Amino acid sequence: MSLLAVLIGTLAFAVLAPIIGCFLAGLDRKISARMQGRVGPPLLQPYYDVRKLIEKDNVSVNSTEGTYITCALVFTLLAGGIFYSGGNLLMSVFVITLSGLFFIVAAYSTRSPYSEIGANRETLQVMAYEPMVLFMAVAFYMAAGTFNAAGVFSLDAPVITNIWLVFLGFLFVLTIKLRKSPFDLSYSHHAHQEIVKGITTEMSGKTLAKVEIMHWCENVLFLGWVGLFFVWGNLLSLILAVVVVLLVYFLEIWIDNNFARVKWQALLKSAWVVAFVAGFVNIAVLAYL
Amino acid sequence: MLGFLILFPLVVAAVLLVVRNNAARNAIVSVSALVIGLASIWLVATYLGSPWVSFEFESPVVDYVCSGVGVLVAVAILYYGIRYKNVWACVLAVIQVVGALIFEFGFAHDIAVTEGLYLDSLSLLMAFIIGVIGSGICVYALGYMKDFQAHEPEGAKDRRPVFFALMFVFLSAMFLIVFSNNMVWLFTGWEVTTVCSFLLIAYTRTEEAIKNAFRQIIMNLLGGLGFLLALYVSAIQLNTLSLLEFLQIGVQNPALVVLPATALAFAGLTKAAQMPFHTWLLGAMVAPTPTSALLHSSTMVKAGVFLLVKLAPIFLVSPVPSVMVILVGGITFALCSFMAISQTNAKRVLAYSTIANLGLITACAGVGTPEAVWAAAFLILFHAIAKSLLFLCVGTAEHHIGSRDIEDMDLLFERMPRLARFMMLGIMCMFIAPFGMLVAKWATLVSFVDTGQVALILLLAFGSAATFMFWAKWLGKLSGIAGEPENVEVTVHRSEWISIMLMAVLVIVGCVCLPIISWILVEPYVYSVFGTVGQDISTANLWIASIAAALIAIVLFAGLGRNKAKKVDIYLAGVSANNEARVYKNSLSGESTATARNWYLEGIFGEKRIAPVGTVACSLVIIVAFAVSAVALPGLF
Repeated sequence: MSLLAVLIGTLAFAVLAPIIGCFLAGLDRKISARMQGRVGPPLLQPYYDVRKLIEKDNVSVNSTEGTYITCALVFTLLAGGIFYSGGNLLMSVFVITLSGLFFIVAAYSTRSPYSEIGANRETLQVMAYEPMVLFMAVAFYMAAGTFNAAGVFSLDAPVITNIWLVFLGFLFVLTIKLRKSPFDLSYSHHAHQEIVKGITTEMSGKTLAKVEIMHWCENVLFLGWVGLFFVWGNLLSLILAVVVVLLVYFLEIWIDNNFARVKWQALLKSAWVVAFVAGFVNIAVLAYL
Repeated sequence: MLGFLILFPLVVAAVLLVVRNNAARNAIVSVSALVIGLASIWLVATYLGSPWVSFEFESPVVDYVCSGVGVLVAVAILYYGIRYKNVWACVLAVIQVVGALIFEFGFAHDIAVTEGLYLDSLSLLMAFIIGVIGSGICVYALGYMKDFQAHEPEGAKDRRPVFFALMFVFLSAMFLIVFSNNMVWLFTGWEVTTVCSFLLIAYTRTEEAIKNAFRQIIMNLLGGLGFLLALYVSAIQLNTLSLLEFLQIGVQNPALVVLPATALAFAGLTKAAQMPFHTWLLGAMVAPTPTSALLHSSTMVKAGVFLLVKLAPIFLVSPVPSVMVILVGGITFALCSFMAISQTNAKRVLAYSTIANLGLITACAGVGTPEAVWAAAFLILFHAIAKSLLFLCVGTAEHHIGSRDIEDMDLLFERMPRLARFMMLGIMCMFIAPFGMLVAKWATLVSFVDTGQVALILLLAFGSAATFMFWAKWLGKLSGIAGEPENVEVTVHRSEWISIMLMAVLVIVGCVCLPIISWILVEPYVYSVFGTVGQDISTANLWIASIAAALIAIVLFAGLGRNKAKKVDIYLAGVSANNEARVYKNSLSGESTATARNWYLEGIFGEKRIAPVGTVACSLVIIVAFAVSAVALPGLF
């Protein structure tokens, strides 16, 4: 039963997440442009970009990079499918980490020095955000009594009431996960602060298109985790969750446009300190009080 | 059958000691490894799913043999201690042998253990690990030691007979440990593994090897003294030397067993190389690689965690040893994972990762709930398989590329295509979903949350993050592809391939069949000990993991490298002159070489910074635990 639900969820996610993610990316570019006093591209510009990438020649620096990226994309879809079909939050976290690993290995496999710098930085980013993400899942379990995302529908109050501190900590690492400046060390949307093209330096054509789509899907998944904090037994709460998600997304865009990239030391230390303070304190309170 | 598994390797060892012909040795080792492997599989199949089965077996002869072996062990240590002028080793060996003899003839003589041998599902799991993985490593050693001997200086004495004999004695001692209900016999096996690993570490007889071997023996003799203390208390106070009775008394009357449980746990911690005793396992790296593989995966350190997991029901009800084990394990896991980031030597990375994983198993045992024990059993199994695979791969790579430095493993994917894939499989199994170790870690996390172990959650979360870092960058290094370097893989010995293949197949089968292993082997143990089935991960999720693992294995071995895209050079900030060497034409028309190295973050995760913290913290925990349990000893005050 559960396996079937995950399968259906994954297929649905594979269809819907790119569409929603694409619109979000278009929105991001529009809002960013307005913040910078520009008009900005059409809302569907990300779609046009990816369509053009897909039409390009099949060119690659080696024979394995594309396969790794395909794996990364497939596991992103699986992670999304697990989460949105109401499955285990922790499993969704682990599968998206697996997807991240394939992305990193793809960059390493090219042996380009610039890709390798990006891959090193991406690895460091994973290490930086992973503790907080785990604390988020654990705190959710303690507050909701289950790891299953569907469990929120039987709650009397949203989990945010218990674990708002963890929510704040998660917002902090969300900036890393959404690849927003100041924490976009490995792969940036701002050309002026990037080393060549970071982790995607050697990716082109269809491979790069897959990376873009994967990024959209990731965003939809992470924002889903944000929304999870605000849903409870009342179905109307879904609307609240969507509103909060949009506000959070706007906040991230605002941060993205107002902070310059930091060094990796600052990223690692701040992310771990936040994880320690927010995650640990909140979990200790839940466990002992 | 149990007797066969314990005695047969001993016979083989005796034969190997006298056979000096290479071809004969190859034949004997291969055949007996096969026999041991098949026998242990047959044993597992026969008793599949059975609860605790005791065997009525009592023999004063065996008791005397055990005393004799104890004396022999002490004599061996004394011999080397005097020869290399190591006072501490001699002192500890004398204390131990005197203590053991007084114990044997003064106290233990009147206590009869009618059921000397037993088996349960955990023993079966261990028997599988020892019998299949352990003997697989022995086969691997055939080819490896041939190359090793060839690298030795001209005229060096061929001491391979001793080496192989020791490997088989090791297996026998491990079988004795996992099947003995009589704790005196268990102790004998315990000491034999200590002295065997001492001799194996010192095999090369270099100054460094001798020094590290003595460090190992001193630390493990301390643990042995802890074991002896537990025997004394158990015999005097509880009047039993049966492991089963000891566990039963412990569960019913936790207050009675605080001191012996703490002492036994201490013995387990030393053998499992937990901080502050982790340095012996790092030092053991000087030994030939099959030794490292044997010590790390199927024997020695696994004896330590085996004992701890056996004691888990006592830890569940007895806070003092439990807190000690939990804290030492948790701290070791996090700090050793941190230190692994700063290492470039592949074997040292593996060593730190072993210590860290043993820490996790230790912490699980300390928590002691059915769920935690479920996780611990899987951690033991998958760690044994994946770690032996990795050690064997690193050993082979070392002999063919001439280095065990991770930075030198650049382009291994092309130079040794098959080996690199096996290594990648082993690495993935160690740290990433959906492979076995991560599933076990997941169960660990849930069991920590359920028991409210906030400190452990913290240590696990940060430690796992570090785990990702050091494995991912190694994995990345392996995956690099450029040009067409020469394939140096063709000269790998067949015996090495057979063992590596065996481990790789075990990894894949283990990960894919994880739900089945849980059902037929791990759950029966948990049920027989706790009376409930504890499993934190729903079976549906296990199957998702299993399917995903199969998918990745297929991609790794069949999908990679099939892409027919047009090849272009990488971007090098100029026209590429030699893509493989990353040489390009710079703006002055000269040639520049781009270099890139992995990150080791020495300033943050260096050994100098972190090791003292762990040593001090864990020593304090252990001292406090002993102080408290000594005070709690009834009748002392």
